[in-house]
Amino acid sequence: MPNTVKHHPSLSVLEQFCEGRLTAEVALVVAAHIDLCPHCQQLQHDIEADLACAWAGEPIAATTDNSAFAAMLQQIVSAEPAPLEAAASSLSKAKSLEFGGQQFLVPRSLQRLAAKRSKWLTLGGIATARLPSGDPHHISLLYISEQTQVPRHTHQGMEMTLVLSGEIEDENGRYVAGDLIVATPDHTHTPRNVKQEPCLCLSVLSAPLTFTEGMTRLLNPLQRFFY
Amino acid sequence: MLAQAALTLHDEPLAKTQDSSMTDAVPPTQSEWEQALALVALKRDKTAYAALFNYFAPRLRAFGMRMFGNEQQALEMVQDTLLNVWQKAHLYDASRGCASTWIFTIARNVRFDMLRKKMSRKDDILADDLWADGDYPDMEDEQTERWDIWIVAEKIAPHFDMLPPAQRIVMEKVYLDECTHQQVAEELGVPLGTVKSRIRLALERLREAIDAKHS
Ligand SMILES: [Zn+2]
Repeated sequence: MPNTVKHHPSLSVLEQFCEGRLTAEVALVVAAHIDLCPHCQQLQHDIEADLACAWAGEPIAATTDNSAFAAMLQQIVSAEPAPLEAAASSLSKAKSLEFGGQQFLVPRSLQRLAAKRSKWLTLGGIATARLPSGDPHHISLLYISEQTQVPRHTHQGMEMTLVLSGEIEDENGRYVAGDLIVATPDHTHTPRNVKQEPCLCLSVLSAPLTFTEGMTRLLNPLQRFFY
Repeated sequence: MLAQAALTLHDEPLAKTQDSSMTDAVPPTQSEWEQALALVALKRDKTAYAALFNYFAPRLRAFGMRMFGNEQQALEMVQDTLLNVWQKAHLYDASRGCASTWIFTIARNVRFDMLRKKMSRKDDILADDLWADGDYPDMEDEQTERWDIWIVAEKIAPHFDMLPPAQRIVMEKVYLDECTHQQVAEELGVPLGTVKSRIRLALERLREAIDAKHS
């Protein structure tokens, strides 16, 4: 099994994900990783069972005021049956997307947002398209052509990259679909696609990248391109 | 106890809103909640629903207070969560997990969307994007057994102190007292599936700690 996922979020990140405590953009990358990773699917299931069991077993002080609940109960049981879920919602989902003549499958968690991506911006063998997200985190799809290197850069903030398809490597290792790369400030790296097929990634940045290499250092537009 | 009440009384008017757990030392079991949800799904059974409501509403409020620190929002979360339980009981699938886990994840999702809505941006990330509706198809339950063979109790037992209490108790009973998973479930009054989940999480945490030491 040469292509199993090896780079996972830590258990404490998964716990925060299951509690709903992560920043939405970070949570989205974790969700997309889980879509691609059976190991973390099992852990998510286990964490939810553990948390919920502890929560449901907690004793509640007999002194709590439950006066608000009687009216709430009446209101709920007299509510109309739930409206049927709009069957057309799949229309606004991108189950796969096409770029550079290549089709890529989109994980479940990204399908709705990927349909709302911005236009692709292309620079050399690299292209990005932003997904809807807010400050301070930017989230985008990142396409890296075969045999292409992302200029060497460092981070003021945190950078999370999830490989969706294909393969990349940097100074620290090799990453296949499902692998999550977390780069913290002061971590400099040069991701590159050395394969003969293009690579698609999901990337979250909490601050602009700083390019540290030759000409690219002078290329301000490159910063704006990535952030 | 609950199941019986629910089965015999389901056409009676609503039970009084009163948390039965306050006077009752033995919490209802998961299978009783499962039956209550089935009655709500099949018959819109108000008595079965009231029992669920009375048990979970105060616990949801406590969870909401921890998360929001604000009573009004906590109650909004309680109402929205329990309305979902009333309207979507047919979506609950007992083969995927406990009734309380299902309710807990609804509350988490409701809270997440409430927080995002306050920031009022359209095209935003929603709970539905993040958390799949139900589990993934091919989860097997073999990992605990596999781990049992890999790990020697004497090697990992000294590290049990670093585990969260609920996981530590389960590990001590399994690895030091050599109880079966079923015995642990009965002794602690938690579902068998939760015992297995806690073992997997504890082993994962220990492995993470040991990996970190070696790198
Ligand atoms: Zn994983």
